[in-house]
Amino acid sequence: MATALAAEYAFDTEYLESSAKIVKFVVLKKQKEQDATREHELASFEEAMLPHMDAAHNFAKWLLHNEQDAQDVVQEAYLRAFRSFAGFHGSNGRAWLLTIVRNTAYTLLKKNRSADLTTTFDEEIHLTGHESASPAMILERAEDAELMKNAIDQLPEEFREILILRHQVDLSYHDIGEILKIPAGTVMSRLARARAKLKEYLTTHISQDR
Amino acid sequence: MNCQDINNLMDGYLDGELDPVTSQKVEQHLRDCPKCEQAYEVEIAMAHAISQAAPYYKAPLELRERIQVSLRESIGATTSRGVSGESPLPVRRPEPVRRGVFFDMPWNWLALAAAIVLAAIVASSFLPRLRQPGADQFLATQLIASHVRSLMANHLTDVASSDQHTVKPWLDAKLDFAAPVVDLSNQGFPLIGGRLDYLDNHSVAALVYQRRKHFINLFIWPRTPGTSEAQKTVTREGYHLLHWVDADFNYWAVSDVSEADLQNFKQLFEGQTLHR
Repeated sequence: MATALAAEYAFDTEYLESSAKIVKFVVLKKQKEQDATREHELASFEEAMLPHMDAAHNFAKWLLHNEQDAQDVVQEAYLRAFRSFAGFHGSNGRAWLLTIVRNTAYTLLKKNRSADLTTTFDEEIHLTGHESASPAMILERAEDAELMKNAIDQLPEEFREILILRHQVDLSYHDIGEILKIPAGTVMSRLARARAKLKEYLTTHISQDR
Repeated sequence: MNCQDINNLMDGYLDGELDPVTSQKVEQHLRDCPKCEQAYEVEIAMAHAISQAAPYYKAPLELRERIQVSLRESIGATTSRGVSGESPLPVRRPEPVRRGVFFDMPWNWLALAAAIVLAAIVASSFLPRLRQPGADQFLATQLIASHVRSLMANHLTDVASSDQHTVKPWLDAKLDFAAPVVDLSNQGFPLIGGRLDYLDNHSVAALVYQRRKHFINLFIWPRTPGTSEAQKTVTREGYHLLHWVDADFNYWAVSDVSEADLQNFKQLFEGQTLHR
């Protein structure tokens, strides 16, 4: 190799040096262009998606009941969203992001499912032999933050998430349907059941408090 | 409209999702019927309480920072991959000159060129493979979760039909690609219907087939350039997953039927799609 090198080395050093410079230049230039493109992509992603971080965190926290899990899920969801941002052409970025947050959260929930089983809604306990509270009593207590939080937390996931999407994120049936992968009609009936369940909880708890 | 009708429409009315005519009828009834009026007030109060009284968990500042840092890191990590994956130019370009570069260059240029070529080769061959197993495992988890959810949540199909000419147009209208749909009733795998699903951050078509008492979910989405051609099988938690690709699409079949049944299913499916 050394002889071959020496023989050809004599041939035209300058020409070869400059061609190597071109190679280097092309590679570096290409690299720079790609860096710039990635930077640009990130900037437009951040502009579109960072404003929804509160909504994402809020949703994750309601789904997971746990700050650390919620933060991990939101972070993971943002990274996943960025990776597939090029494929997003919809009009509602918030709904799109929340879809990813939800998928990520459910993946985690499924993993932890055995631990989570203890926190499901214990219907029997809440429904035994208490006199119902009147609508007036519900109206009176509805602004009680602690009571509302506990009530929502006790709901089964499918009811909790739909109430949050409707009333805190303020999404339309269409957008909720996209996130939950259900038709708009099902959104309406599920919301009706979720509200009935919530009312049931409030009713029994208010009358127990008395 | 009677009170029962109003009760059924109350949620749609509350959410402003009724058409104007129906909405007006509900409004009229609420004005005339104190009982429904009060029920509606309770609904309003609860809606208001969820949006105002219940906590809204804002993202803490440190999470915001953490996410921005990790996004930035992710482009740092992907740029080296980008050189090989997205544009073949920098890798290919040196090749015609390379013989010259290798044999004729002063050592410092040689080293530099070698480093560039090596980096490109490493980036092109090594990194994607490093990434692959983790990504597959993650996808497999998602696929099984989708399959299980579809059976659990009583949401096996969005469009229930054994007629491929019903299922296909329905899916085509919902997706930005036209997934192949075939009925395999005569071969023992009747088509039950289709569904939209969401995997790996994109919408996918899910076709549902039955095998005796079992269901097979077949997930289909467009193939991206560079997808490996290799057929894959994964067995996990009692489910079998079978992956294959054709010229246009990725396929993942998920089921609790035997692996042999799944292979058989794949061959039948492929046989039918090739003939069109």
